[in-house]
Amino acid sequence: MAYAVEVAGLRKSYGSVQAVRDVGLTVRSGEIVALLGPNGAGKTTTLEILEGFRDRDGGFAEVLGLDPGDRSSSRDLRERTGLVLQDLAVEPYLTVRETIARAAGYYRAPRTTGEVIDLVGLAGQERRKVRALSGGQKRRLDLALGLIGDPELLFLDEPTTGFDPAARRDAWQLIGRLRGEGTTILLTTHNLEEAQALADRVVVLSAGAVVAEGAPDAVGGRDTERASIRFALPDGFAIRDLPLPAEAGNGTVIVETSNATRALLELTRWAVRHDVVLAGLTVVRPTLEDAYLHLTRQGTPAGAPERTAR
Amino acid sequence: MMTAAITGRSAGRRRRHRGLGLLAHQIWYEQLSFWRNPQSAIFTFVFPVVFVTVIGALLGGGTGSAYFGGLSALQYYVPTIAALSVLGSCYGQLTVALALRRQNGILKRVRATPLPAWAYFAGLLAHCVLVSFIDVALIGAIGRLYGVPFPSNWFAIAVTLLLAAACFCGLGVGVASVIRNADAAPAVAQLVLFPLLFISGTYLPIHSEMLNRVAGWLPVRPFNEALLGPLALHEGPDWKHLAVVAAWGCAGTVVGVWRFRWTPRPE
Repeated sequence: MAYAVEVAGLRKSYGSVQAVRDVGLTVRSGEIVALLGPNGAGKTTTLEILEGFRDRDGGFAEVLGLDPGDRSSSRDLRERTGLVLQDLAVEPYLTVRETIARAAGYYRAPRTTGEVIDLVGLAGQERRKVRALSGGQKRRLDLALGLIGDPELLFLDEPTTGFDPAARRDAWQLIGRLRGEGTTILLTTHNLEEAQALADRVVVLSAGAVVAEGAPDAVGGRDTERASIRFALPDGFAIRDLPLPAEAGNGTVIVETSNATRALLELTRWAVRHDVVLAGLTVVRPTLEDAYLHLTRQGTPAGAPERTAR
Repeated sequence: MMTAAITGRSAGRRRRHRGLGLLAHQIWYEQLSFWRNPQSAIFTFVFPVVFVTVIGALLGGGTGSAYFGGLSALQYYVPTIAALSVLGSCYGQLTVALALRRQNGILKRVRATPLPAWAYFAGLLAHCVLVSFIDVALIGAIGRLYGVPFPSNWFAIAVTLLLAAACFCGLGVGVASVIRNADAAPAVAQLVLFPLLFISGTYLPIHSEMLNRVAGWLPVRPFNEALLGPLALHEGPDWKHLAVVAAWGCAGTVVGVWRFRWTPRPE
């Protein structure tokens, strides 16, 4: 199967509010894709349609070759997918081990309870009641319940929210392991560092539509669009002496350019000719955060979503 | 910390529970959750037992009196409090548990697994029925201590309890389905139940012809009546009263199936 998730022209409204206007995305088998976007961009609605919790108003959606809106195949789909969502809860008076063992009984070929407890880092907590767990431990338990069925496809809705940095590292490591096993993962996150670290591709949503998608290093034209070149102005020269328009920055000069290769050539040729050094010369690409903020700031352009070449 | 090796997809897996095995799996974990939760265990289970113990201590075995329709006080209270315990563990427990589990996402978590809906409900309902049976048995045993003879028509008791428990489960699911805010669930459940218990003679015999007629068409009094025969008088199943209970059970089930949702209502 080429695609684990295939979505095109997805639409969903709540009353007069169009939560999802036009979402199209694909996730290949074995790929990790991060869904980015501000609150209200339609991430959760999209995810919930794919998980079968909501019906779509229109558009095409297929998950592991099955229609998530089709009740007759929903059991098969749930057998093969794992979910870690924001608003899920479990019985407070069961222990960690009991909670996981209970869920294991629902699947055809689950992982073993002990294995999953070790995977998510709850070893030593097996006999504690769910109600006595900390917020971070509860999220680990959520993760365990998403993994117990040994899913081909995992949906993670903000999987590390509420984790301390060490726990986040552990979770990233775990997701890396799952990738190595061939598990396909579609995750949402507000943490751009997380998207950068985990995802093969990111899909940026804004106001219910896809505004960009691509590799984390390339999305929103990060690799090709404007870059800034910084260096210290050589002694005895003014900004107007430079061969390119520039601005004075914080003790440095900043040249904004859409063609860094050419700009560098002109700058260095100028420096060599005048026999000076451009101290601290650096080229700064927009960070994923810059690209993300730029893409989601002004809402959605009405036209087709821009896509970066892959 | 997350260092265990991930084993292959087929290594050492247990087979999924099926059919009755799955049902037993569900009942077991429902029982664990129930008995460990002091609130549910005390209010649902202990209250009726304490009530009948106290009444027995106050009024003793005694002999029949006109006030209790020719029965002794305990002969009257064993069936009505047994009915109360079925109401508590089926109707009361289900209303509160389902509304709460929906609101805080437990039902959604269940829905995210391949567990079929029938298995979840069968497990939950069977758990409730089991709790009510244990409660009724305890109440019967306490009644025996105060001189109420053990019933003899076990068939009639089993039929009456099973049918009524199923019906009050149906009513519980129905009421839980229309409750919007889980915080209000216990209040709504009690608000409906408490006046109903009073006019149905659960706590005191009612000697008003009119009130008895009205209560006769509501679910609780017919259940009290239907239990009285088999539990205190060695009679057979009281089909006429059970029919009224069954009608209410069906109505509740229809509403429950029609309005049930797994996910919390959007704000």
